[in-house]
Amino acid sequence: MVIQLLNGMQLAMLLFLLSVGLSVVFGLMRFVNLAHGTLFMLGAFVGLSTVEATGSFWWALVAGTLASAIVGGLLYLGLLRRLQAESPLKQVLVTFGLIFIGLEAARIIWGDYAERLPGPALLAGSTALFGVVYPTYRLFVIGLGLAVAAMLYFGLERTRVGAIIRAGVDDRTMTAALGIDIGRVFFVVFVLGCALAGLAGVVAGPVLSVYAGMDMGVLVLSLVVVVIGGPGSLKGAFVGAILVGMVETFGQVWLPEVAGMLLYGLMAAVLALRPQGLLPAGPRP
Amino acid sequence: MTPPASGTRHVVAVLLAAAAGGYWLASGYYGKELLAETAITAILAMSLSLLVGQAGLVSLGHAAFFGIGAYALAGFGARLGWPPALAMAAAVATGAVAALLVGLVAVRLAGVFFIMITLAAGEMAHAWFLKDRLFGGVGGMAGVPRLDLSAIGIDTGDPASFALLALGVAILVYLLLDRLVLSPFGQTLRAIHQNEERARALGCPVGRYKLAAFVVAGAVAALAGTLAAQRSAFVSPELLTWTLSGEVLIVVIVGGGASLLGVSAAAALWIGLRHQLSTLTDHWMLAMGAIFVVLVLVAGDGIDGAVRGLWRRLAQRRGP
Repeated sequence: MVIQLLNGMQLAMLLFLLSVGLSVVFGLMRFVNLAHGTLFMLGAFVGLSTVEATGSFWWALVAGTLASAIVGGLLYLGLLRRLQAESPLKQVLVTFGLIFIGLEAARIIWGDYAERLPGPALLAGSTALFGVVYPTYRLFVIGLGLAVAAMLYFGLERTRVGAIIRAGVDDRTMTAALGIDIGRVFFVVFVLGCALAGLAGVVAGPVLSVYAGMDMGVLVLSLVVVVIGGPGSLKGAFVGAILVGMVETFGQVWLPEVAGMLLYGLMAAVLALRPQGLLPAGPRP
Repeated sequence: MTPPASGTRHVVAVLLAAAAGGYWLASGYYGKELLAETAITAILAMSLSLLVGQAGLVSLGHAAFFGIGAYALAGFGARLGWPPALAMAAAVATGAVAALLVGLVAVRLAGVFFIMITLAAGEMAHAWFLKDRLFGGVGGMAGVPRLDLSAIGIDTGDPASFALLALGVAILVYLLLDRLVLSPFGQTLRAIHQNEERARALGCPVGRYKLAAFVVAGAVAALAGTLAAQRSAFVSPELLTWTLSGEVLIVVIVGGGASLLGVSAAAALWIGLRHQLSTLTDHWMLAMGAIFVVLVLVAGDGIDGAVRGLWRRLAQRRGP
């Protein structure tokens, strides 16, 4: 039971790292980057190659995060920014096309085989906690997720940049009218979200296996997180990630036959009761 | 969005059917297989056209209903041993019920949310069949029976006859959906697509209309799925992948969205192109992704105007 709770928490923190970017970008720009999972996969693969080259997990963490941030930034500047003025629908569909390209590119560069990213030696082994023995690395994942959540919360609630982002989520036209370069805010938030996706990819590497096509499963879970948490909000992404992580983990253990349905049921139930999600951001126009 | 009301569409329909018939006469064994695949893809694309072109609902999970139809036929026909005709009808009904379950959640949400929900629901259905034990999980299940038409002297086991059967079903689906598109129901869908607020203000139960369109599209997609399962006598989770949903959406966009004949012609084009690409390279999905991105980029107002937009741009470049 405690082990499953920890497993659920670990999955929840991975999902949080992924979906917080999706969610805040949605709040600001009203579009969802379906290639977010692809950037997660990119982070994992770049991390894998870095570990093979340097032997260090920590370098992999840096390289994977940077790679996803850079590719995400280029995508935004080269493709998505131009579509911002047109329709969000087109932006979403373009990013859907990017999933195909990303998947094939990964197959060409890294091949078809599943590999496991070796975790850091420092965190190998297990730790006794709450009366159970649990892999130390997975505790690190939980801790990292919580730390990032705390940092983002502080950043959004207590800093000037955070105030600008929240203002942008509430009313981007008004924010721009106050003389704030909203385009730059979009860019910074988008790249930060992509970096977190890459970070999640490297961190997930030792837990899940790394292969071309690993992106779709997590993308779907993080879409569910965004929908039920309420798009645009950090708290929503956090609560949504924990709900989805727990339902997914306990579903697989207790009701493996219907685990998939359980998640769909959760989403349907939340949307039936609160179509705007559990903790939506700010006042809606 | 404009209704294909002109009488010339009958001429085009006959020409398309004649072209398919001519190809059937001229082609060999492999051509017959391609023809059956084209007919199945055309049915699937026409069902998605009802959603995208008429109701303006862009679904990224349409392959789920295709796969559910195929699996339901395998379940009723092979596992339970029902006669194939009855199993097919039950499979179509199963597709409709699945579409109802997804639609009840999805049509409450507009635009980007609708896309997210359909993609998520489709992938959940895919994951379900990857894990299930009844139908062989990842490996799939063989032994799906074909429709028995020996009573009227047709052996559907023969590829040539099966291609004709698939073609016949495609024509039936076209006639049915053509009627539906021109009916008051179809007009209401277009009114909702044009301006949802206005339709609502006029007292139209928007959600119910969208749900009905979603269910019809799901049922027709399931019908296409039953044919696909019969063609290969095999079902596997491959039938429900998001890549197939994306492919069908490309076909619908290229075919002009709202035009049933347009998307059918585009289905033929796509099947031909895909076979060419897949013989050239193992990585044809790369090209497919690029095609998808370019199509969306050149699309004018709705994505259904993609090809028109492309022509317009080319014409402008050539013009003064």
